[in-house]
Amino acid sequence: MPMVQPKSLKYRKLGTHIAICAFLCLIIFPLLMVIAISFRTGNFSVGDIIPRNPTLDHWRLALGISVENADGSITPPPFPVLTWLWNSIKVAGISAVLIVVLSTTSAYAFARMKFKGKSTILSGMLIFQMFPSVLALVAFYAFFNMIGDFIPWLGLNTHGGLILAYLGGIALHVWTIKGYFETIDPALEESAAIDGATPWQAFRLILLPLSVPILAVVFILAFIGIITEVPMASVLVQDIDKMTLAVGSQQYFYPQNLLWGDFAAAAVLSGFPITIVFLLAQRWLVGGLTAGGVKG
Amino acid sequence: MAEVILNNVRKNYDPAIHQDTLRDINLNIANGEFIVFVGPSGCGKSTLLRMIAGLEDITSGELKIGGNYMNDVPPVDRNVGMVFQSYALYPHMDLRENMNFGLKLKKLDKKTIDERVDHASDILGLTPLLDRKPKELSGGQRQRVAIGRCIVQQPSVFLFDEPLSNLDAALRVKMRIEIAKLHKELNSTIIYVTHDQVEAMTLADKIVVLSPLNPDAPTNLEQFGEPLELYHNPANKFVAGFIGSPKMNFLAGELVEKGDKTSRIRLYTGDEIVAAVDTSSAQVGDKVELGCRPEHLVEVGHAHADCQITGTVQVTEHLGSESYVYMDVDGNDFTFKARPEFPAEAGQELKVGLPTDACYLFDKDGVAFPRTAKYNKD
Repeated sequence: MPMVQPKSLKYRKLGTHIAICAFLCLIIFPLLMVIAISFRTGNFSVGDIIPRNPTLDHWRLALGISVENADGSITPPPFPVLTWLWNSIKVAGISAVLIVVLSTTSAYAFARMKFKGKSTILSGMLIFQMFPSVLALVAFYAFFNMIGDFIPWLGLNTHGGLILAYLGGIALHVWTIKGYFETIDPALEESAAIDGATPWQAFRLILLPLSVPILAVVFILAFIGIITEVPMASVLVQDIDKMTLAVGSQQYFYPQNLLWGDFAAAAVLSGFPITIVFLLAQRWLVGGLTAGGVKG
Repeated sequence: MAEVILNNVRKNYDPAIHQDTLRDINLNIANGEFIVFVGPSGCGKSTLLRMIAGLEDITSGELKIGGNYMNDVPPVDRNVGMVFQSYALYPHMDLRENMNFGLKLKKLDKKTIDERVDHASDILGLTPLLDRKPKELSGGQRQRVAIGRCIVQQPSVFLFDEPLSNLDAALRVKMRIEIAKLHKELNSTIIYVTHDQVEAMTLADKIVVLSPLNPDAPTNLEQFGEPLELYHNPANKFVAGFIGSPKMNFLAGELVEKGDKTSRIRLYTGDEIVAAVDTSSAQVGDKVELGCRPEHLVEVGHAHADCQITGTVQVTEHLGSESYVYMDVDGNDFTFKARPEFPAEAGQELKVGLPTDACYLFDKDGVAFPRTAKYNKD
C-alpha cells in the first residue's frame, strides 16, 4: 500500500505476528498430539510430543494389517478401520452431493420465485434448525425404525437411512446459497427467458455456472459436517462394519482398556478425506465469475 | 416487424393494496415506429415495457403484438428482443456465445446462427472482439453486445430499458446516434424507456409521457404524441414541465380577461401578462398558472418583449454559448436563458421580457388551454 504509515505501525505489525503465531500453535498442538500418540509405543495418552520409541503398530492395525508382538503372539486388527473410512466417504460424499442439489434448487425457488408464505417458511426452516437434533434422536430412531418396515434400504442400520437423515439439515445451506443467488442480477435470467430459455435452462445454463464457488463451499461444509458427525450416526447405525469412522473410532474406548494409540491412528486417517476433498474443491473457489455481466 | 397495441392496460403488483402502478394505458404503436416512454422514476415506464416483453403479467387490459393477443404468451413466443439497463450479458460466455445463446436454444442450424452473429457483429463493429468475455469490454462495447444479442434474434419489436443510463455523457451521445442509425437500418418497431427527456426528444418518432399514478387519476398516461407536438402543445402542466431543458417556469395568477385569441392574466407578483391562449372555456377570476420556457424569454427592449416579469437574480451561469440566469420571482424559481456574457449580478433586480406568443396557460387542475400562436423568436 503506497500510503504514508505512522512509525508505530512496525511494532504493531510485529505484535500482531507474535499473537498470530501463538494462536496457530494453540490450534496445531492438539493435532500434533494425536499424531504423536499414533506413533507412540503402547496405548498412552500422555508422553512426549516426539515419541521415544516410534512404532507403526497402530497404523498397521488401523490399515488392517496384523501385528506380531515381541513375544511372538499376533494381534489382529481390532476393527475394520478401512471399511469405516470407506463408509464415511461414501455417506458423506453422497449426502453432500444430494445436499448441494436439494439446497441449490430450493434456494433458487426462495431467491427468485414468488409464492405464498415464502418468508414464513424461510424463517421457520432456520428456527427448526436451531432445535438441537441430538434432542430428537429418539424420534429419529423411531422414525427410521418405521420406515425400515416399508423401505428396508432406508431403515435403521442402513447407509440409505443415514443419508436421508443428513438431508434434513440443509436450512443453513439454503440460506447461504439464496444469499449468493440474490447477488446475481435477475436480468440475466430474464434475458435468457427472452432468448427462449425455460426457467430450468436459465437456472442450469446461466445461474449455476455463475454459482460454482458457493456450491463448492456448501459441498465442503456439508462433507466435513458429515464426516465428523457422531450422535446421529451412532444411533442409526449399530453394526460394526456399517459404522462411519467418527462413530467407529469410539469403539476403541473400552472402560477397562482405552486404546489411545489405535484411536489416534484412526483419527488421523479420518482427516485425509476432508483434506483431499478440500484440495480438490479449492480450484472451484474462485471469485469474479460474475464480473462484466452487468453494469460498467 | 409488427405493430403494438395496448388497450386499457392496468398493472397492480399487489391486489391486497389497492394501488395501481399503471392504469388505463391505451397506445397504438405503428409498425416501424420509434416510441419512447419517458417519465420520472416510479412512473411505471419500465413496468410497462416489461409487460410488453412478458416479464410482468398484465393485471387487466389487452396487449396485441402484430395483431395477436399476447397477454398470456411467454416472452420467447412474443418475438421481442430486449436490451436491459444493466446489459445482462452472460459473464461466463464469450461474445459469440452471448449472441448465439438464444439461437442455439431455438435449434437453428449452425450456418444460419453464424451468419446472423457475423452480420450483427459487423453492424455493431464487434467482429474483432467476438472471442472476448464481457468483463474484458468497455461499457459502450457491452452495450453494443446487448444490442447485438437482440438483433440476431430478428425480433419484430425491440425493447430498450434505459440502455444508456450507465454510460458516461460523451459515450451516451455517441450511442444515441448509433441507436438512431440502427433504427433506420433495421426499420423495426422500437420501444425505448428513458428518464432523460433529451434522449426522448432526439430519438423518438412519438413520445409517451407517464407520471407516477395519483390514486384518484383515471390514468397515468399524460400524453402520447410527436416530440415537437409535446414541446409546443403539452396537454398539461406535467408534460410541459417534463419536456424541455431547462424546465419551464411556472407562475400562478388569475384570469382577468378571457378570450379565444388572447387572454389577460394578473400574476400574484403583480405583473400583468397577455398570453396567446384560448380561454373561452374558463371564467374570469379563475386561478390559472402561466408557463414560459427559459429559452423563449427575451431581454427588455427586444421586439418581442410584450410583457414583463420582475425578479431578483440569484445565480448566473455563463456557458460560453449562452447564459442561464436563475432568479427568484416572488418566491418561485425562475430561469432565463440569456445571451452569452449577459451581465447579471446576484441580488440585482432584473426585468425580463415575455412574448405573448410564447405563453402557456394551465387551469387549476393543470390542464392546458389551447395555444393560439406558435412563437418564433426571429
